[in-house]
Amino acid sequence: MPKNSEKSIKFNFDVSAYRLLGRELITDRITALFELVKNSYDANAENVTVEFQNINPLSTDSKIIIKDDGIGMQFSDIKNKWMVIGTSSKRRERLSPSPHNRKVSGKKGVGRFAVDKLGEKLVLKTKKKNDSQLLCLETDWSHYSGLENSQFKLNFEDEKPFFTDVENSYWYEDDSKDNQGTTLEISLVSEIWTEEDVNRAYKELSKLVSPNSNLKKTYPFNITIKAPYSGFENKIVKTQLIDFATKKVELSFNAVNKKQEILQYNKAENDLSLISVPERPCGLLKLTLYYFNQEDKRKYKSHFKSDIDGIKIYRDGIITTPFAEYVSHQEKQKDILGIDKRRYSGFFERFGSRDLLGFVEITDENNPNIIESTNRQGFVDNEAWEELRKFIIEQIVQLETYYKNIKKSERESTKSSLGGASKDLKSIKKEIASIKKEASPQVKQKLKNIEANLGKIQGSVTKSIKDYANLEKESKQKENLFFSLVSLQTYAAMFSHMTKHTIGHILTSAEYFSKNYPNQKLESRFIKISKNIYNEMLKLRKGVDFMLKYAKSDTEFEEINVKNLVLNLFEDIYFDRFIDENIKTEIVINDDLILNYNRKSIEDIFDNLISNSIKALKGRNDKIIKCSSITSKNDLTILFSDNGIGIKEEDKFRIFDIFFTKTSEDGGAGMGLYMVKTRVEAMQGNIEVVENELKPSGATFKITLPFKK
Amino acid sequence: MNVTFVIIDDNEEIREHSLLFTLEDKYKNVNFYSNPNEGLQFIKDNLDVNLIVLLDIEFSEKDKKNGHILLEEIYNTSALIPVILWSGINETTEEFSDFINNHAFGFLSKTSTLDESMLIVDKAYNHLKNSLDNTIEDWIIQNEVDKDKTIYLNADGDSFSLNDILKEIRLQTPIGKEFSSKLNALTIDLLLRKKEKL
Repeated sequence: MPKNSEKSIKFNFDVSAYRLLGRELITDRITALFELVKNSYDANAENVTVEFQNINPLSTDSKIIIKDDGIGMQFSDIKNKWMVIGTSSKRRERLSPSPHNRKVSGKKGVGRFAVDKLGEKLVLKTKKKNDSQLLCLETDWSHYSGLENSQFKLNFEDEKPFFTDVENSYWYEDDSKDNQGTTLEISLVSEIWTEEDVNRAYKELSKLVSPNSNLKKTYPFNITIKAPYSGFENKIVKTQLIDFATKKVELSFNAVNKKQEILQYNKAENDLSLISVPERPCGLLKLTLYYFNQEDKRKYKSHFKSDIDGIKIYRDGIITTPFAEYVSHQEKQKDILGIDKRRYSGFFERFGSRDLLGFVEITDENNPNIIESTNRQGFVDNEAWEELRKFIIEQIVQLETYYKNIKKSERESTKSSLGGASKDLKSIKKEIASIKKEASPQVKQKLKNIEANLGKIQGSVTKSIKDYANLEKESKQKENLFFSLVSLQTYAAMFSHMTKHTIGHILTSAEYFSKNYPNQKLESRFIKISKNIYNEMLKLRKGVDFMLKYAKSDTEFEEINVKNLVLNLFEDIYFDRFIDENIKTEIVINDDLILNYNRKSIEDIFDNLISNSIKALKGRNDKIIKCSSITSKNDLTILFSDNGIGIKEEDKFRIFDIFFTKTSEDGGAGMGLYMVKTRVEAMQGNIEVVENELKPSGATFKITLPFKK
Repeated sequence: MNVTFVIIDDNEEIREHSLLFTLEDKYKNVNFYSNPNEGLQFIKDNLDVNLIVLLDIEFSEKDKKNGHILLEEIYNTSALIPVILWSGINETTEEFSDFINNHAFGFLSKTSTLDESMLIVDKAYNHLKNSLDNTIEDWIIQNEVDKDKTIYLNADGDSFSLNDILKEIRLQTPIGKEFSSKLNALTIDLLLRKKEKL
């Protein structure tokens, strides 16, 4: 249709916009304070005072005053920046004016609406150096809410003023030329601030600046809290101090050759080392990580009267907001890095956010794609953020592995010292026996007593050794059981999907029969349907057989023909899947290769490798999975390859880590390759990622199993 | 009313599923497509007949389109076709968002019995039967003489017979949509002014 006449129309804001940007966007008071203090930082302030006046109980005299000695604003700043929602000034100028040249922390241009969370009325007083007058601006949010309420009663849309129509008054006051800075005087305070609340504000503000930041030295940024509580008359906020950590790890990067340091647990030497890997998609970053064991945690808590509260992210030295949110119960704290949400986090000596203090240092320059969400409660969900999370979890996993192995070797040494004690006791007994022969009757009697006591001690040492061995066996059994459960979960998902289809098919077929039989005209259908029922039943039987094997005992050893085992998986169990996904298979294994081992363990290994490959082959053409073996004098090498997406260079070090997965909700993912690795290691073998056999892309796993001598 | 069923499922075994036989017994015309593109093309080529679609959600790797995308494409082709999702996965929030966004007519589980399935299928049939286009079609069948009478003039001055209008509605052209909404408005107006008798 032709356009008759074209006009234009503009978007507008309802008066309620003040709420959306203020109290409903910023969900807690501490975050609101943070936003305002950050504004002072961005304005080159060196001193900020946060003063609480008459805030318990609330009265008309209740005030929160945030005063800084920053560069202040003139009328044009107020008009073009302060009064403009989403102003771009801080996105254009990423550095504050010289000489401070601070990386500005605000970006979105909505931080000042945080005032609304603290109180309903704001008088802003600001002045630049050498101006003789203070510029004062009054914003009365209660006026906006009053308008909002009265608008509900109006019937006609056209009479309603918009957010941008509300007038805010300003005036000038005389002041000394030397002063500079901005003062926010917030009245009609919305909530009582108890001593505990102020203390919270203190603690959280102490985390505003990274303890590793070097900004203090050149141009300090001091925060002072004043409140009508003892100790808070004039309390300077000090950055968080850290001591008593069991282990401190510092990771850095090399910007020139774009290398990132990561933690790598070295099994041979049982040590943690730093290695350099290519830059990750989250960008180069620094990480300081402190781990506290029970004992050190207790020391930290009693000394600093503060909790160990996980890992925080700092951008250009200033905390990113999500972590500023305070929750009274640490259990309820947001775990946006997913440290505590890792699957089965109660097992395997996992570390939680209460065992760790960490400072991730990102910068605008190196990590431009990590973006804080506007509501300050998290980060925009993109690849960079996902990779940052993975990066942090990966480092924690390395620490965990390190400590797990320390424990293991401690156990070993306990065991051997117990054994040593038993030996020592025996030789003491021998010596006593030889002395006894030549001793006087008195001494003999005493020696007899000693011998009796030694016998008792020896008895309890022997018992301890036995108990210890039992305990070890028990925990090994528990771990095995747990593994079975986890892999069972993966199969359960696959199995129930298959049964669901099959049962549906059989059910409706039987129903059709019972409804229509006999009927001459439908004869050919009955034949088709009965064939279907038969085929579906066969499928079901196969699935049940497979499940049953899982119920079988886990410890039996038997002679296993490796080729038959792989054939069974490829051509029976996974046959349908491979057809569905269009995957071709290739097996190059000696016919007579026999292993004497637990069948389920070996099946687990191949099974997990297969499902791993299926995932890697998603969306590829000409899919191939290949399994081959090479036997030498001392060991057996199995190569398992696919021509899927391959393993990224940066993932090669962490692919076998447990729970190395993108999402915690992701079914059994993140378990598979870890299980493969543990199973292989239980056989004294080794598994690694080697250069892909199939070209141009893909992955090849190399398993080496030693022959028993 | 004649209706044609279109079943799109990448699993070839479904071709001989008893539900398809039951549909054939009751409604005669049943077309099965294991290739989603062919199924979609059939729908596009047959907009002038009454269609009910049964659509699988999870398609295997080799088909680039899954049920969600197909549902969207069918809805964009014509909003008049009832599409019933027929899947082995459970009804989750994902399916519900599809119900809302792309107006899926219903959800059938692969484990549903024939009786349960036919309840939804019959509901879709009745829905079609009571739709505006089918009312017009019934009218034409009963009053053959009205078929070519001009009943509608649009702003551009084009004239449309009852039969033309039927076609425009089924093909979901702008004229067809405009006519439907104007007719509804007119009916309400008449009812409000107590002019049910013109």
